[in-house]
Amino acid sequence: MSAAGASEVGVRLAGHFATVEQQRRAAVLGMWAWLLTELLLFAGLFLTVLVLRLLHPEAVQEAARHLKFWIGAVNTVVLIFSSLTMSGAIQLSRLGWQRGMVRCMLATAALGTLFLVLKGTEYHADYEEHLMPFLTERPYALDHLPASRLFINLYYAATGLHALHLFTGIAILLVLTRQASRPGFLAVHQNRIEIYGLYWHFIDLIWIMAFPVLYVLNR
Amino acid sequence: MSGSATTGDAHAFRDPQTPDATLDREADYLHAEHTLRSWFFTTDHKRIALLYLASITAFFVLGAVTAGLVRLALVVPDGQVFSNDTYNKLFTIHGVVMVWFFLIPSIPATFGNFLIPLMIGARDLAFPKLNLASWYVFMTGAFFTLVSVVLGGVDTGWTFYTPLSTAFSNTWVVPALIGVTIVGFSSILTGLNFVVTIHTMRAPGMTWFRLPIFVWTHYATSLIFLLATPVITLALVLLILERAFHIGVFDPAYGGDPVLFQHLFWFYSHPAVYIMVLPGMGVISEIVPAFARKKLFGYKFVAYAAIGLASVTFFVWGHHMFVNGQSDLASLAFSVLSFAVAVPSAVKVYNWTATIHKGSLRLDTPMLYAMGYIGLFVLGGLTGLYLATLAINQHVHATYFVVAHFHYIMVGGTVLAFLGGLHFWWPKVTGRMYVESWGRISAFLIFIGFNVTFFPQFILGYLGMPRRYHVYPPEFQFLNILSSAGSTILAVGYIFPMIYLVYSIWFGKRAPANPWDARGLEWTVPSPPPAHNFLSEPKAPEIPYDYPIQASESQRHHS
Repeated sequence: MSAAGASEVGVRLAGHFATVEQQRRAAVLGMWAWLLTELLLFAGLFLTVLVLRLLHPEAVQEAARHLKFWIGAVNTVVLIFSSLTMSGAIQLSRLGWQRGMVRCMLATAALGTLFLVLKGTEYHADYEEHLMPFLTERPYALDHLPASRLFINLYYAATGLHALHLFTGIAILLVLTRQASRPGFLAVHQNRIEIYGLYWHFIDLIWIMAFPVLYVLNR
Repeated sequence: MSGSATTGDAHAFRDPQTPDATLDREADYLHAEHTLRSWFFTTDHKRIALLYLASITAFFVLGAVTAGLVRLALVVPDGQVFSNDTYNKLFTIHGVVMVWFFLIPSIPATFGNFLIPLMIGARDLAFPKLNLASWYVFMTGAFFTLVSVVLGGVDTGWTFYTPLSTAFSNTWVVPALIGVTIVGFSSILTGLNFVVTIHTMRAPGMTWFRLPIFVWTHYATSLIFLLATPVITLALVLLILERAFHIGVFDPAYGGDPVLFQHLFWFYSHPAVYIMVLPGMGVISEIVPAFARKKLFGYKFVAYAAIGLASVTFFVWGHHMFVNGQSDLASLAFSVLSFAVAVPSAVKVYNWTATIHKGSLRLDTPMLYAMGYIGLFVLGGLTGLYLATLAINQHVHATYFVVAHFHYIMVGGTVLAFLGGLHFWWPKVTGRMYVESWGRISAFLIFIGFNVTFFPQFILGYLGMPRRYHVYPPEFQFLNILSSAGSTILAVGYIFPMIYLVYSIWFGKRAPANPWDARGLEWTVPSPPPAHNFLSEPKAPEIPYDYPIQASESQRHHS
């Protein structure tokens, strides 16, 4: 990495906390609590997928075979790599290597964007194959299996909700990167990188659950 | 019985030697700044609590007015007062507003916000900006819901069951759904803030078992906020997708399962009952020892019971679907688990009663509300056991018996606790005393009005009157008129406090720091509290509820 002299690393005390240690603990616990909530949000979706699978096994299997397995698989790898770069950013922030950290954060945002581009390609392919039953004007490829609509719809709801999280994540990450590239950032807000990293890993983890539940289990 | 034996002598124990509030007026949180900006962009948990208090009071009025119109419609059996559509919209608005915009935020967002930092000895909640954000999120959700009301209302009932909500209703379902979805996030943010604050912000020496029960119950509530709310968020998002964009997963026309929505809905909405009830239990646990002058009986049991309730409540949602095609085995399991809820509930009731037993009682306004709460909660709870019994449920499912049952818990429980807490902490919040005699009169009116309104509904339901109907057999008219008459008494009981409490803000006597001689860190600071809560380092009490009468000594102290 480039930085010859590592910058100072620390957290500035906010007025209502007694110690920096307390402030750090509060921030970490706050993010974990948020992630717990998010987990329950997605858990409801995964549960709904499994219920549909139980109710209509043939239709769900048939619909799942039409999902683009390889795009999903590549996307899984992309997100795992983005978690790697995010871990790098966290590690470098602890060392005070600001330039390397910023580069890792940009790489993370780029990988996240790549995921969204691939996802968009996948949606486009779905559209071409008439796999959008909610478009009332457009014929639906699996019309002979009415229940397949439910699974396909849920696929859009689940991947759309995940994409929304990822999009928000990239937006926050870019703002954070901008702040973090200013001199002296690490001396006052180093823990923001750690807190943000938790969120990023979580989005990654949700996809790691969504991929098998949607693409793999039902094939 | 000692202290205020006569109503006219209400100030006897409170005043003689206590000096007037001596606080430098510039320092307290109400007078630190005066601009509108300093209110709407405040990060002070106490001011945010007041923002919430004003908002939920407005919603309470809206919910109460629609309830009054519903009761008006039910005076005659032939449904001639309103059209069917109007009646459906009225009870829907009443339910949506009361559940999501009053009951759920009621005690946590106001007293919880105001008191938790004071009670644990912190300068603020862990995330003050997030706290402010939660209020704006709440108001955004409120905006969407009001839009749906102004545009023409919703007629699905507060439960939004599909396929009525997604396919058949011709009303403004989507804005209402968006509003309720958004308001869930404000609950989540409040719960998150409380959990983190209680874990990390306690003053030195403030161990878990020195915390007031109020903090324990809010901790339990916050866990439900965090774990249950996202599930209904998802369920409502799926409804919005289905209704607005045809991205449906519940549609029975394609083999979807509307009961799946009910499962997701009640996975939140049953625990939500405890979001509404647990904070009230915390309020009662503060009031009862203060006015019995006695240490809270069985502190640890009461604390664990809060966590117990918050845990068990996640496994009982199926009792809302006993007649909706759920398997008999599932119904049996949910029935047994629902009975289990009675155990921690009863632990609390027995402990409050044991605290009152041979205490030195003062029957001031907060205590009147607390005793009303205990009685009504017992009735509401016991009828809950009737409903959890599979055979009886078949008979009374979706009748007025259910309506009466949950109003005994929601109004008899939560609203009474809210009003009790409002009177108990009013001197702390505003620095002013209200007129005690008016407080007592209102408490009596509410207790009587409530029972006259809702007790007849138990009988109506048992006789077979279904909920959500405004056309009914003429032989039910007497009980319905009785119920409607009771609601007018209840209305008077609600209006009085709004008048005399507001009056007291300008004309009430100055409140001392601790007008009730109560224990707890919030009473060690001036009334109203300084902007940063504590003027000196707060010192955690070694024993919570260290009142003069100990449980073991109650025999001797009783005179």
